[in-house]
Amino acid sequence: MGVISSLGDSPALLHSALCQGRTALHPVQEPGFDDLTCRQAGHISAFHPEVYLPEKNLRPLDRTGQLVVCAAKLALVNSGWTADKLGAHDVGLVLGTMFGSVHTISKFDRHALIQGPSYASPMDFANTVINAAAGQTAIWHKLRGINSTIACGSTSGLVALGYATDLIRYGHQIAVLAGGADEFCFESFCGFERAGLLYGNGEGRPVPFDHRRTGFALGEAAGLLMLEDWEAAVSRGANILAEIRGYGSTYNPVSDQSGNESDAIVRAIQAATEDAALSLVEIDCISASANGSVNLDRDEAFAVKTLWNGYSSLVPITAIKSMVGETLGASGVLQAIDLVETMRTGQLPGIAGLDEFEPTLPSLDICRHERSIRVRSGLVNSIGFDGHACALLISKPQDPN
Amino acid sequence: MTSTTAVVVTGIGLVTPIGTGRQRFWDALMAGHSGFGPVKSFDTGGFGVHLGAEIADFNPRDYVFALDPETIGRSSHLAIAAARLALQDGLLELDKTDRRRAGVCVGTTSGEPHFIERFDDHYVSGELERVGKEFITRYPCHVVPGHVAKELGLAGEAMMIPTACAAGNYAIAHASDLLRARKTDFMLAGGADSFSRITYTGFARLGAIAPEVCQPFDRNRKGMVPGEGAAMLLLELKERAIARGARIYCEIGGYGLSCDAHHMTAAHPQGEGAARAMNIALTKSGVAPSQVDYISAHGTGTPTNDRLETIAVKKTFGQLAYEIPISSIKSMLGHTMGAASAIEAAACALAITEGRIPPTMNWVSKDPECDLDYVPNVSRARDVRVAMNNAYAFGGNNSSLILTASSA
Repeated sequence: MGVISSLGDSPALLHSALCQGRTALHPVQEPGFDDLTCRQAGHISAFHPEVYLPEKNLRPLDRTGQLVVCAAKLALVNSGWTADKLGAHDVGLVLGTMFGSVHTISKFDRHALIQGPSYASPMDFANTVINAAAGQTAIWHKLRGINSTIACGSTSGLVALGYATDLIRYGHQIAVLAGGADEFCFESFCGFERAGLLYGNGEGRPVPFDHRRTGFALGEAAGLLMLEDWEAAVSRGANILAEIRGYGSTYNPVSDQSGNESDAIVRAIQAATEDAALSLVEIDCISASANGSVNLDRDEAFAVKTLWNGYSSLVPITAIKSMVGETLGASGVLQAIDLVETMRTGQLPGIAGLDEFEPTLPSLDICRHERSIRVRSGLVNSIGFDGHACALLISKPQDPN
Repeated sequence: MTSTTAVVVTGIGLVTPIGTGRQRFWDALMAGHSGFGPVKSFDTGGFGVHLGAEIADFNPRDYVFALDPETIGRSSHLAIAAARLALQDGLLELDKTDRRRAGVCVGTTSGEPHFIERFDDHYVSGELERVGKEFITRYPCHVVPGHVAKELGLAGEAMMIPTACAAGNYAIAHASDLLRARKTDFMLAGGADSFSRITYTGFARLGAIAPEVCQPFDRNRKGMVPGEGAAMLLLELKERAIARGARIYCEIGGYGLSCDAHHMTAAHPQGEGAARAMNIALTKSGVAPSQVDYISAHGTGTPTNDRLETIAVKKTFGQLAYEIPISSIKSMLGHTMGAASAIEAAACALAITEGRIPPTMNWVSKDPECDLDYVPNVSRARDVRVAMNNAYAFGGNNSSLILTASSA
């Protein structure tokens, strides 16, 4: 696993920060943001790609590309895929992203508008395609297998993990580096602010399930997991961290941002348990998608209540987005990485800042503080702003080698 | 090749610069019609080229009923139109199907580029306050499959695969996997892109746009012509299609995807990745190279693409390459970006059912480096049992999809 996040650049660092309840949210001080009301975000204030990639020319990469190439390097090192091994086997890359780099797209267009089309930058143009980061990462690390990009809004990363799992299960690839990324930039921040989806300044809190929640805090991150065929991983002597058991991906066609997404969430979780051949009682914890959005947090809580039908207070639920922010295409992947770390350490993070649980929500075992827990199988939820829902089930390796 | 989990095409919906609807598209393709004209959707005054392949006379109100067409972008309009046409063509009655087991998978290059272009207009004119909530609710590319699903009430997976100019093949490939695994009963899969200032600016800057005409594989070819369009295929398992008495166009045999990992905008000089994708597709489909009756080329009309694509086909097929007809319908449609490989997959399906191969138009003189049978200028009768649909994209992405005749 590899991760670049505002709470650390390794799964262990991210997990310990989450368990300590640290928050990455801080004032936005970058120039150009002055006209916007919301002034807090969870972006990475000190990201230095040259620390991870000292030997190469970084100029062809935009910020999204840098985040993904760096996270990929960390994941390759962590999983033992050396350059030699990558030379001998075709490894795939599947990246979930909501925007690619909307900043690069906008910058390219604005430059051409101001200077004239003949002054547009060819290097920027290459990065305007939404699959640019996946292409750049493949070039950088010589990943010659299936190279795909998945866009399902803020569920993109989790859907990408499911899609990549299927590529392996259906025999298309032996190994796929899979995950998600979205950068923090003016264009998306401005867009979410204008849409009223961000929590305001001074009023409200970007805290999942909190009575005073009014929206989310925008973050940024890249996270990647090396997914491999079990037998192939065993035969190469890999350290198997976890097993992806199954996933479900659904859509709510009657969504209008104020509608109820519970049905799509329920169906995604049901599809995941069916795909994984797991029953709900075997799920030891839930990493919720909840991010402080008024309606989505409510719908997710009711979906869990519906499914667990009277036993929903028995399954611990955590959520990481009051700490790391809503990282869009990376969000479900960060949750998955943290769940794997929870399995390893036996510690489940609490929901930082959750002081007043919304009283109208159903009775759930909400994890407010770090908790010791034994997790064999856990559920990751990812829910979009406009109808997408995805659920992924992960288990501890049954046959640790 | 046929098994109980064979995935078949039972409906085809098309909105293209040479015609909307399966029959009008096919007739135009056989007649060698051209979809090119001066760009109308934005001012090309500052450009050195002005040629585009836009869709004229498309009224979204003919297709968008459940949603308000004013609140969604043009790529969504085109995708919804193609989806409705595919359902009509496949005679699928949605009211009699389990909508939770019907999904949408779309490929694209730019998604809904007009909304970021308006954002940029406001930015440049110092009027950022005019950016409203619709930017974030209408722009991100995943809204396109979402809008198709909303319009039609489909509650299965709604996925966008934005793998640029090969995206349609990726979407069809993923949909066929979902169906084979019985995770879904019906999929609408294809591609959609609307004519984009950003895309046009980029290709113009790369010097890749033809000034007057698109001439794939011709010695004097001068480039591609950016276009727009959408195609959606209705896909289902063969057993289900037979049970409901559906007309079967063809089967999705299998696919091969690969990455050059070489360069963002240029293909591998020896066609390494492209040949690998073709070989994987053949193996996965259980098809021998000698069984391929037709290759639908990526064939953009740029000097480099067509030369390297020819190298890759020879690398894959050896001497057989000279015996397999290969054509580029981009000579008529231009390059419809993420929709291109979906439209070309539809053309392959129709070549199989109609027994004719579409031509490469505007072919005048032979290029010694492009010496295969490109079906120049005139469509050709041929019994097509196996068609290979090739598409390539920025990021070094290569895709080959194999479509096969379906035995009853």
